[in-house]
Amino acid sequence: MGVLSWILTNFWALLVVALAGVVGSRIAWRVRKYGATREEFSYVLRRSPFYLVVLTFCFFAIAPFLIMFLHTFKTDGDLYRRPQPFVFRQEPTIEHLDALFNNTAYLDFIRNSIVVGVAVVIITLVLSLPAAYALARLTGRWGERAGILMFLVYLVPPTLLFIPMFRIVVLLGLKDSPMSLIVVYPSFTVPFSMWLLQGFFKAVPPELEEAALVDGYNRVGAFLRVVLPLSLPGIISTVVFTFTLTLHEFIYGLVFIANTSQRTLSVGVPTELILGDVYFWQPLLAAALIIAIPVGLAYNLFLDSLVQGFTMGAVKG
Amino acid sequence: MSLVQIRGLKKHFDTVRAVDGVDLDIDEGEFLVILGPSGCGKTTLMRMIAGLEKPTAGAISIGGADVTALPPRMRGVSMVFQSYALYPHMNVFNNIAFPLRAQRREKKLDKRAIREKVVNTAGALEIDMLLDRRPRQLSGGQRQRVAIARAMVTQPAVLLLDEPLSNLDAKLRANARDELKDFQRSSNITAVFVTHDQIEAMGLGDRIVVMSEGKIQQIGSPQHIYDDPANEFVATFLGSPSMNMLSVDGHRMGFRPEHFLPKTLNDKPDNSRVFHYYVKRVEYLGSDRLIYGYIQGHDHALTLAKVPSNVRAALDVEGDYQFAVHNNDIKYFDKRTGLRIQPVKAH
Amino acid sequence: MPSLRHPFDNQRLVGTLFLAPALLYIVLIVGFPFLLAIAFGFSDVTVGNTELNFVGLRNFEAVWDNAIFRQVFETTIRFTLISQVFILLFANILAIIFTQDFTGKWFARFIFILPWATPVSLAMIGWLWMLDTKYSPIDYLLLQTGFLGRGGILSDDRNLFWLASPDLAQISVIFVQVWRMTPLATVILMAGLSSIPTDILDQAEVDGSRFMRTLLLIKLPLILPIMVIALLFSMITMFGDMTVVYVLTRGGPVDYTRVLGLYSFQVGIEGGNLAQGAAISLFAFPLLLAMAIFMLRTASRAEVR
Repeated sequence: MGVLSWILTNFWALLVVALAGVVGSRIAWRVRKYGATREEFSYVLRRSPFYLVVLTFCFFAIAPFLIMFLHTFKTDGDLYRRPQPFVFRQEPTIEHLDALFNNTAYLDFIRNSIVVGVAVVIITLVLSLPAAYALARLTGRWGERAGILMFLVYLVPPTLLFIPMFRIVVLLGLKDSPMSLIVVYPSFTVPFSMWLLQGFFKAVPPELEEAALVDGYNRVGAFLRVVLPLSLPGIISTVVFTFTLTLHEFIYGLVFIANTSQRTLSVGVPTELILGDVYFWQPLLAAALIIAIPVGLAYNLFLDSLVQGFTMGAVKG
Repeated sequence: MSLVQIRGLKKHFDTVRAVDGVDLDIDEGEFLVILGPSGCGKTTLMRMIAGLEKPTAGAISIGGADVTALPPRMRGVSMVFQSYALYPHMNVFNNIAFPLRAQRREKKLDKRAIREKVVNTAGALEIDMLLDRRPRQLSGGQRQRVAIARAMVTQPAVLLLDEPLSNLDAKLRANARDELKDFQRSSNITAVFVTHDQIEAMGLGDRIVVMSEGKIQQIGSPQHIYDDPANEFVATFLGSPSMNMLSVDGHRMGFRPEHFLPKTLNDKPDNSRVFHYYVKRVEYLGSDRLIYGYIQGHDHALTLAKVPSNVRAALDVEGDYQFAVHNNDIKYFDKRTGLRIQPVKAH
Repeated sequence: MPSLRHPFDNQRLVGTLFLAPALLYIVLIVGFPFLLAIAFGFSDVTVGNTELNFVGLRNFEAVWDNAIFRQVFETTIRFTLISQVFILLFANILAIIFTQDFTGKWFARFIFILPWATPVSLAMIGWLWMLDTKYSPIDYLLLQTGFLGRGGILSDDRNLFWLASPDLAQISVIFVQVWRMTPLATVILMAGLSSIPTDILDQAEVDGSRFMRTLLLIKLPLILPIMVIALLFSMITMFGDMTVVYVLTRGGPVDYTRVLGLYSFQVGIEGGNLAQGAAISLFAFPLLLAMAIFMLRTASRAEVR
């Protein structure tokens, strides 16, 4: 707590020092490599507007998250009385984090989200792995049309479907159960991952499968033994993005499930952590930030792979 | 003074030394071919001349001015890529006009001047009827001409060509090669042509630069590097089938299959070296017979002979014959360095 | 005599078997509700009364005659169009930035992806606080720099009341939508930019083209089809979204930020009138379909050329 408290109270100073340190060491590195010449100086000068633009965009992107981070540790007095949102006038506290995990249904939301996410990922893979392969290799004109249909389905927004789906969920007796989400979420995750996987499958050279066919496997065997192992990185990134799609979904989760303990993160946090007009701001902001950081890291890690799948699907599709 | 001077040029990618100390002079109006196997650094060398790649060390000057630090647009060079890199969204006219329109303000041309230059250049390459077409509507040969027209329209000091014939099919390629050579002669442009195809190199180059492992192995006219290879790499890289190499008396000895003939055909028996040759296999190539066999005492080195078909001598499989090579056609190389050494006195 | 040919050697059969489950699931879970939505639109179904009685165009007429609906419809279109302009502009700039190499790229990319990676409803909590009527940190900054407070340039008040004043609420919602959807468009454009052959760009450089010229005459025209797809994606996402306004404003003040998705939710689920709720969301469908077809055709035509 001592270190965290020190970091928080000196947050802006540390941020400036860190930025200056990065910029300074970078310039020092260049000077050591190319010497402190006039050209070098003008290079740095010419390059700086670019970094300024990057910093500006970064600032806008991260501003709410910075505020979330700082406010998570503020005491009520610091937050509401003569507010100075950017500095700590009272000792930082973790009592709100404590409250979030112990006095709210936050852990239930996390559990529900994971259960729903994992189940949906499994259903999605079972359905879309073979289908994407069929689209990439096996079917002719008819399959191409099916592919376009899938793409169009992905473009049908949930706001168009949630009312009849609500009726169906009620009829099936799944209302207020995460099962309802597990059944419905594949409606958008399957088209999405089919599209992505199709791109990854197309990147596998057909000669490798043909070699497997010659070596005595049938089509299904070639798919299981050659195509799947070779596109494993693509499949992993599809899993990651499918999971986060379920994590993001809001409308179905809001409509289908009404009791607190069964709600998912994206619905539970903004509806259940607010009691009427009473906002518990610090736990709210903390709850959002705790999810944002790992998902952001996962996105950044798998972004190149996503871009690649997208390009392959679009270029050769 | 040479038009292009390259001194101590190096390019290292992390641990790979793509170009490793190249010195080269390119004369005005010559057709210079850079020849080498893939990965020898020839394309990297060309890209550094173009300014697309920044050298790790060394200097390049064009027309007497040091251009090492200059971007491509300020070097007065133009380039034809292997893929032709035609802008797919522009028609032929706009493709050719693109470099003219990109000129700096002081060199900017008005619309009429641009039209005139584009039409003239297109006319010289006989593509003036294609100006409204898009690249995807053109054949391979037409695309190549458009790419050359676009490279020539600014009247560059040096025209760089990166394997521009490799995307054409075999029949078109011979034709395109002749046209390219004629065009270069008549326009008197300095051309640098990169290829891994030795027939292309022999047919096109006034001079050939043979490269391997980032270094220049030899520079010379096609005949010179074929007849007088500077080292074992050049000797074996050029020629098809490649030069026979044997280890003799602590040296490497090489002679070309077409110089390795039955002794009866040899006109100077006193100035020749005679071998006992065991014929393993015979291939008929039409104009020649290609003989695979072994020289007595060199049972591990398959030795080839290329005998013209008009030589009627009987050469049967599993037969023993006497073959001979003129001493002048035998080259000796150092066993360790691979460098050419003076002929050893006859035994 | 048994056939030597295994059924799995038949490419067509395997293709059909592979595709069928996914297709069937999608038809069941999307196609059926979609038809049901149409049926609801022509019926008098409510949450309490689940009988489907055919009532003709009555729901659609009622919805169309409703002044609130017209305003909602117009607001939705306005929000969508305005935000797309900024999204495309910023996404292009960012895609160009992030397809170059620079120090700290990995970290910068992490930061700029955050708005897209965070579940919308959770990110909106952050903005709810940023735009708070009393405690907004933005207001605090403006107050400190003299834009707010007594004699301030923007207002004499200590606060701007971001989500409480009609104009600012609309601006806020559009800003937040741009904030959260720019990264996705950027990623799609990055895919387009990185698929341009390097030969073409090297050629442009040798041809003497500078940065802006290459950008405007080579890069942007070449990624035009992909730009259309990015636009389509973000337009349809935005048109069908209700999360942002649900958390930030619930459609207020009055009806100024009420969009179609939210309105259909409020009438259909919160108000219990499933039939009218369905009718409201159905109004959006022809527009979405027309948009999708138009843009996909533009994209494919641009590619063929």
